[in-house]
Amino acid sequence: MADLPPGSAAKLKSVALESGATVCGVADATAFDAYAPEKHRPGDLLPGARSVVVVGGAQPREGDWAATSPWVMQTMGTTERIQGVGRRLAQYIESEFGYYALYVPPGTASGDTPFLSLMLAAELAGLGSRSLAGPVLNREHGFMYWSAVITTAPFEADGVETSPACPAPACREMWDRERTTPCLATCPGSNGGCLSGKLENGRAVRTFYDAARCNTRVHTHWVGGFQKVLEETLNEPDRDKRKMLLYGDFFTRSLWAITYSSTNIAQCFECMRVCPAAHGLREMR
Amino acid sequence: MTREEQVKAVGMKAGARVVGIAPVEAFRAKVPEGHRPEDILPGARSVVVAGGDGPTAGAWRCPDHRVMEITGYDLRENVAVHAMCDFIEGTLSHRAIQAPSLPVHGHEPPMSMMHAAELAGLGTRSLAAHIILNPEYGLLYYAALITTLPLEPDQPLAEPACPHPGCAAMYKRIGTTPCLRVCPACLAGTVQDGRIQTSTYDREKCHSRADLRHRLVPEGASSDRERGRPRTAADDDLQRLLHEEHPVARLLPRLDRAMLRVHARLPRRAQVPEAPVRPEARAR
Repeated sequence: MADLPPGSAAKLKSVALESGATVCGVADATAFDAYAPEKHRPGDLLPGARSVVVVGGAQPREGDWAATSPWVMQTMGTTERIQGVGRRLAQYIESEFGYYALYVPPGTASGDTPFLSLMLAAELAGLGSRSLAGPVLNREHGFMYWSAVITTAPFEADGVETSPACPAPACREMWDRERTTPCLATCPGSNGGCLSGKLENGRAVRTFYDAARCNTRVHTHWVGGFQKVLEETLNEPDRDKRKMLLYGDFFTRSLWAITYSSTNIAQCFECMRVCPAAHGLREMR
Repeated sequence: MTREEQVKAVGMKAGARVVGIAPVEAFRAKVPEGHRPEDILPGARSVVVAGGDGPTAGAWRCPDHRVMEITGYDLRENVAVHAMCDFIEGTLSHRAIQAPSLPVHGHEPPMSMMHAAELAGLGTRSLAAHIILNPEYGLLYYAALITTLPLEPDQPLAEPACPHPGCAAMYKRIGTTPCLRVCPACLAGTVQDGRIQTSTYDREKCHSRADLRHRLVPEGASSDRERGRPRTAADDDLQRLLHEEHPVARLLPRLDRAMLRVHARLPRRAQVPEAPVRPEARAR
């Protein structure tokens, strides 16, 4: 950690946890080169980038997972909580250590492509590993949201996780018995779902996630829905029908979704709801 | 601790970078009727303004302009204002509301946060779109509260933050500044004796450009072939100009980028060493 005082990474992680993160790790900026496409690597966003600091947390609460209505999870966004921590860390790095720091914007740079893959960042920072269902799961805390900061500060990088959270022991047992796991069973790609995969010797050797199909299910009330209704309305010659389209339940709900929630641009959560590695580690009354 | 110090401490603890106080009477001189604090909260006595951090110095360096468009600010000023409102109502037993600042028709906000920040001594107007700049922190985002609590006000700044000495020197040499030169379509102005003499900002033109999806000069990351290090950030020339570390070969870097970065906090804070940043980048 040339040029940084001893204990800088530990101090940074301590500030991250105090600010609301559940976990914090550091990845070497050059580690992305092997996986991330051109224009989506740390050095493309911040010239001279040396490290990527990743924070995870703001996961849904046990009560959210237990809610019987699927709309609870699909409309109650919690990602902003961890994004606030990311922003704060970027400011902290600049003011405390004097190195440039860039908070990686959430959302996409174009199409479905993020500026920098936060899931890849979490993996490279040793905070989790990919699951059969797609999301990166932390061994201790399961499913969580991620935020990242690219910096020119040479923080000491953490190693990647060697023992994945997925598949959980219960899932391995289920695979041995039924050749499926809870997530694969809840949304099987072979039967109109989004997921498929294969385990061998307790490890995932093949995974498949149909992002396009998943999107059509969860983006129903998001930007795509808005655009679709707008197009229909513009093409509708009947005045009363136009009014129904614009003031009806679907369009109204789309507007609420766009303006007040964020997680329904993510997954429908049903694969994570049944995942023993994603949550449920704490017994609740 | 005085009441003013108590209120400010609450705001700073909640995430504000700066907090200032303006008396409601100060708004009468320049603010039209209907947009003054007492028009919004009857019996208003004070306006407390909080400034939240703008983009990090790293964000200013990003070659992808969309990063700045998405992550320009962190909204802490709003959190700070709500924390101070709670404190004023809960502890000091006076009414307090967040000052409405989002335009309700056209471009007119119910109350101008820029003007409030000026009156509270937190910054002064700049040549660049009249954006308020704080002398220590540069570009900040402002929110305010209106309260019936009488507070000792701060004074507007005597010395303007803009033009920066580097910009004033540039104007003296070639009759323009970095911001005026980068966007002559929207901005115009003159500097005399190191102070803004005239300043024009064509807001309508600026708005129509800021929403363009296809820029005249495309920005983005370099191709793989061009990614080979070492390379410099887009604002390196400007950094050298402003800090006068080296003779400047070119007075300006690219002309297609916003230049408020010249006021980013990092280079101006005494406690932040610059040396570790640029030598590291150049060494690679």
